[in-house]
Amino acid sequence: MKSFKPLFFLITALALILAACGSPATPAPSQPEQPQQPAQPQQPAQPAATEAPTVDPNAPVKGGTLIFGTPQEPAILNTLLTTSSIEDAVTSLFVEGLVQVDEKGEYVPVLAEELPTVSEDGLVVTWKLKKGVKFSNGKEFTCDDVKFTMEGALSDLSQVSTSGYRDIETLECPDPYTVVATFSELYAPYLRLFAYIVPSDAGPLDQMETWEYNQKPWGTGPFVLEEWVPGDHLTFVRNPYYREEGKPYLDKVIIRVLPSREVGIQLLGTGEIHALWDITEADLPSLTKMEAQGVTFSAAITGENELLVLNFGANDGSAPADPAANPHPILYDLRVRQAIQYAIDKQKIADTLLYGNVKPGSTVLPVGPFACPQPPSEYNPEKAKALLEEAGWNVGTDGIREKNGMRLSLKINSTSGNLLREQTEQVLAEMLKEVGIELTIENMPSDVFFAGGESDGLRDLGKFDIILYTTGPALDPDSHLFSNYTSYRIPTAENEWSGANFSRYINPDVDRWIDEAAVSMDTATRKALYCKVAEQINKDIPRIYLYERLSITGHRKEFRNLLISPSFVDFAWKAQDWWLSK
Amino acid sequence: MTTYLIRRLFQAALTLLAISFILFGLISAAPGGFMTVYAEKSDMSPEDLARIRAKLGLDDPIPVRYLKWLGNLLQGDWGKSLTSKRPVLEEIASRLPNTLLLMGLMMICTLLVAIPLGIFSAVRQYSWFDHFFTTLAFAGQSLPVFWFGLVLIIVFAVLLKGPDGRPLLPGAGMYTLGEPFSLWDRIRHLILPVTMLTFVSSAEYMRYLRSSMLDVIHEDYIRTARAKGLREWKVIYKHGLRNAIIPLVTLVGLDLPSLFGGALFTETIFAWPGIGRLYFTAAMKNDYPLVMATLMIYSALIVLSTLLVDLVYAALDPRIRLS
Repeated sequence: MKSFKPLFFLITALALILAACGSPATPAPSQPEQPQQPAQPQQPAQPAATEAPTVDPNAPVKGGTLIFGTPQEPAILNTLLTTSSIEDAVTSLFVEGLVQVDEKGEYVPVLAEELPTVSEDGLVVTWKLKKGVKFSNGKEFTCDDVKFTMEGALSDLSQVSTSGYRDIETLECPDPYTVVATFSELYAPYLRLFAYIVPSDAGPLDQMETWEYNQKPWGTGPFVLEEWVPGDHLTFVRNPYYREEGKPYLDKVIIRVLPSREVGIQLLGTGEIHALWDITEADLPSLTKMEAQGVTFSAAITGENELLVLNFGANDGSAPADPAANPHPILYDLRVRQAIQYAIDKQKIADTLLYGNVKPGSTVLPVGPFACPQPPSEYNPEKAKALLEEAGWNVGTDGIREKNGMRLSLKINSTSGNLLREQTEQVLAEMLKEVGIELTIENMPSDVFFAGGESDGLRDLGKFDIILYTTGPALDPDSHLFSNYTSYRIPTAENEWSGANFSRYINPDVDRWIDEAAVSMDTATRKALYCKVAEQINKDIPRIYLYERLSITGHRKEFRNLLISPSFVDFAWKAQDWWLSK
Repeated sequence: MTTYLIRRLFQAALTLLAISFILFGLISAAPGGFMTVYAEKSDMSPEDLARIRAKLGLDDPIPVRYLKWLGNLLQGDWGKSLTSKRPVLEEIASRLPNTLLLMGLMMICTLLVAIPLGIFSAVRQYSWFDHFFTTLAFAGQSLPVFWFGLVLIIVFAVLLKGPDGRPLLPGAGMYTLGEPFSLWDRIRHLILPVTMLTFVSSAEYMRYLRSSMLDVIHEDYIRTARAKGLREWKVIYKHGLRNAIIPLVTLVGLDLPSLFGGALFTETIFAWPGIGRLYFTAAMKNDYPLVMATLMIYSALIVLSTLLVDLVYAALDPRIRLS
């Protein structure tokens, strides 16, 4: 055995070292998780907590540690450099903006006293800031931080949208609590600006990528990061300088990285986590089954639709800029598109595949200040058949319609690995078969599906008949409608594949209304214009809205006051009010 | 010996260069690319996207990007993660202890399980013991890791309850969050992933040792040893095992790099914050500097451990000469 001993020794020694190395990752010994404990005013900083726990079961209880599970992993917490939605969600625990979107989808002031005011000519926007707001490092929040945020967004290294910020000619601070921005041209969605604030002492902008702030950030929000073990968890504790007295109610919020949603759902049932971030409609049945184990969910309409994009242009990959010159052999005909809409029973999809938890889609603008509800589309296979006959498509020998020797056969593409989407496609294929349309299914990994034109992505090249995915306006419909429905945003090789009008939909009226709305500072006028757009889209049918997507958080019943905003960005917008009941 | 070493190291460098070329090509050829993370952010204008793409150096043609990457690497700069902006070596170093702990324990458990089982199976060839463990070893080698892991989770972390009504064993993570450090808690979290890894890799080790042991115990010198009147255990351990274990050294040596590489499936299934999971996440996000660094370090370790095994082999077995 002599010659073999060193190896054994080596391995044992190695393992011992590793075991020792592993320990620093342990959370520093701290108070154990105590969601069941009654309120105990532990810190002198909370004078409001002196009352004993009341008998009212709905009165917030102070204290406790809330554990949030997520299958995604944050990599960086600087809002100027984030790339994933989990990062945006986690940063909302400590980052606040001048305004935010509430649970009804309306803008509300946060660090601003009130919503910003606009000058007569629409070029000067003024924000009044709340006084006495402090960051968790004790620094006061002033106009300088707003200015720094703008400079940050516009700086070389930033990875955020510069829309709006790049139109600001000057940004002045007449006093520390007033922000006056003068725009070089009208910027209608001004309300959405400064939805996040980066503290001005975060570091020099030309070294943004090496800021300590990226991994150890601070902000004005209710919580502040205490510890981050990459790939495992992040612990947030109360911000000692938080402005609302007695809040936040919770002592700690822990974000725990999980292997998958499925494991997360199990952990919700066993109570190892209190909430599971970003689950999908498809997970709702398994959550409902765990009702008895104390599991429930909260949801909000996101403004996005699960939808079909119908291609007007030739589907040969030539990426035509004008579908009229180079039309899709089947779908360019409005009657065929109408027939497809009539043939789809959206209510049935919502009821059978989504257990009635969602609303059938009817409009591009379902929620928020610019919501424009439209009458739901009619399910009527007879009308569909009549329209197809009228368009010259007659039933062939195998039940599929034909015209001049061409079969009425279409292909649907989507992302693979999503069971709900696959089921939706199958149901669609059956519904369309009823009226004599053949639908074949071809799915691909999302990287391939969403690839750009420079990587031969099928959407940009127009190399498809029908595609199925989710999209919709985020907060203000301006940029979404512009990039998805105007003729200027048809992706072609000439414009380097910019834009998302994959249908190659051209309607001069729609172009004009969207242009007009972009230079109007009056919300009512803009809303009326966008509503005309929504109405016209439903007549022209470049897209068919199947159902309205939800932003869902599964949670345990003892997790109270979880208000979901339709905006993913503002996930924790009311985290100061969260509390845990017994 | 020195000439041999120099020649092997030179070969290793060439091999690694070729590996880096192929890896970079494959990663770049994968559809999508890093910019797809922005594709669904509807408020990103084409100008914003173009600026970010240029800043990340994704505009250059692939050969240029490769040469830039290689040039930086030769100067000791492994690059920064596209998502976290941290130097990739820092990212890897932060996960290394977790992976080493998991894989180190796995290696120890594997040897502790596989060596006695292998010896015993060989000594009692065709006994019920041998049949039982040989069958089990085949199962261990054939089971898909991810499926086996999920079964373990369902059985021990969901269905079976401990005396306190909570699941018997934790199904994910390294420790219970929000509770102070406890060794027992750490061990509980290690049980499932280590069991799974040990089960799978013991199977291979055990089979190896069993067959090499079988070869050895039919040798003449074993009979001689028995004829000398040595006790049976001394015959087996001193004369049998010492000779039979040499092939196992190769196996252990070649598996050493996995101490670094971690176990992709195991770490992903059990949410173990190690290098395997880091690599998986980076690959899913097309974070190519991080993916390249992980794969290159792993490749380098494999190349070096092969060399190391050859050297150790020569030292263990005087019949082998390096030239």
